[in-house]
Amino acid sequence: MIDVQNVTKSYGAFEAVKDVSFTVEQGEILGFLGPNGAGKTTMMKMITCYMPPTGGTISVDGLDVVNESMAVRKKIGYLPESTPLYEEMGVRDYLNFVADVRKVNGADRTRAMDRVISVTGLSKVIHKDIHELSKGYRQRVGFAQAIIHDPEILVLDEPTTGLDPNQIIEIRNLIRELGASKTVIFSTHIMQEVQATSDRVLIIDQGKIAAQGTAEELKASIAGQMHLDMVLRGADKSKFIEVIGGIEQIHLEDIKLQKSGDLEAALKVDAGTDLREQLFDLAVSNNWKILESSPSSFTLEDVFRKLTN
Amino acid sequence: MSEILAIYRKEMKTYFNSPIAFIVISSFLVITNWLFFDYGDYPFFAINIADIRGIFDYGAIVLLFIAPAVSMRLISEEKHQDTLELLVTMPITDMQIIIGKYLSTLVIFAIILGGTLIAPISISFVGDLDSGIVISSYIGFFFLGATYLAMGLAASSFTRNQIIAYIVGIVIIAVFFLMNGMANGSGLLATLFENLSIRFHYQNFFRGVLDTRDILYFISLISVSLLVSSTALASRKNK
Repeated sequence: MIDVQNVTKSYGAFEAVKDVSFTVEQGEILGFLGPNGAGKTTMMKMITCYMPPTGGTISVDGLDVVNESMAVRKKIGYLPESTPLYEEMGVRDYLNFVADVRKVNGADRTRAMDRVISVTGLSKVIHKDIHELSKGYRQRVGFAQAIIHDPEILVLDEPTTGLDPNQIIEIRNLIRELGASKTVIFSTHIMQEVQATSDRVLIIDQGKIAAQGTAEELKASIAGQMHLDMVLRGADKSKFIEVIGGIEQIHLEDIKLQKSGDLEAALKVDAGTDLREQLFDLAVSNNWKILESSPSSFTLEDVFRKLTN
Repeated sequence: MSEILAIYRKEMKTYFNSPIAFIVISSFLVITNWLFFDYGDYPFFAINIADIRGIFDYGAIVLLFIAPAVSMRLISEEKHQDTLELLVTMPITDMQIIIGKYLSTLVIFAIILGGTLIAPISISFVGDLDSGIVISSYIGFFFLGATYLAMGLAASSFTRNQIIAYIVGIVIIAVFFLMNGMANGSGLLATLFENLSIRFHYQNFFRGVLDTRDILYFISLISVSLLVSSTALASRKNK
């Protein structure tokens, strides 16, 4: 569907994107993850025909973004960063304008307007001017203009930035809903977002792809391990070290005695092992009382930090 | 074509949803009519001659300040609000965007032209106007305004700041308007400057003669200005 081959983009001497290649399959939701200034927006501006790549090629459905730009633009709905809108226009006027430019006319126009208004939940504000809208509604207007021509591809640049938690969830649901029938590329610098929304993640750092795969694959490839924090009562420190040392899959990271005399241990557990029963039995046979046991998996955030630092 | 009309309709909505259109149209008409009827050494009421040339003499100067005010927002506002990014990624060419926007300013100017008809119509009741000269003067005035607006649009396409677009627009127009005064004598340079100046070609229309050279001059200036604007939009591609 979208084929990016060896794409480079330079602004003068600065290379914002360096030899990037990837493909996006039809119907896939791809998340661009990366710190600010990593080249996410530049990548999107090239896919949406805002500017051509300095080197390499991008094709959408087999159409080149430079040579067949007009045909590519028809296939894409784009929501740029920070949702630029005509402040002084009414919501309906604005959507009519976009439909005008995109040649959605006649009965199609009526259907398209009804569809986008219901999908994005704009009916309450359809008669207002855009400058009167809250940030959440502005974002919905941005979505509405992006889908009014029912494009095969949606490109969304940081669609949840600046929204409150409820609005973020609404927008994520909207992305998933639209992603059921469309190819979606969206960017974010928030880890949970790609985890919650996308089929596949592309981590971009300093203009290069640092990693790609599903959220689970990325976590597995980098981490694969779990943390386990335990607090035990009635445990002797040296005895505990001896017993735990006997289990191959557990590595002791830290151990200390609390003021109360309880033993606090931080363990690292190898991938693919579930030692909860074994640990319980060990505690019983040694007469330790488990006061706390909290496992935590490596998050995508750990992956992200490790890759982009 | 439908893309151009879509842009045109949007701009017209913006002009008439806000007080911009009303302010520029009424300011022009009030100032120009006041200057014509009642100002200076030879106000219309004092000299008692059925000649409306004053409208076009004063009008050219007043329009120098009004036309860039109409066109200053066209591109710079899009840049300032970042809406340009969305606009140029829609299936529409840069030139279609420029022409659609330009068209809307021409219609505003046509309304201004309509407003100035008060003078010739009322004068024709009390005196004897040479209708040939009135018509050719109006054609000249139309080309003058159309050129100012195209230059203002070009100025607007280089900046995200409307004030800068306005002032640069005035300066560009003023330079072209006054160019005939820049070199004295009858040398080659003086002739060149004279032929390049707006005032020189504009004045020819008042003689009641339509010269294709004058019309071509204005059409060239308009075309170059629109081309410059569209090139400025496309400059994003070479960054």
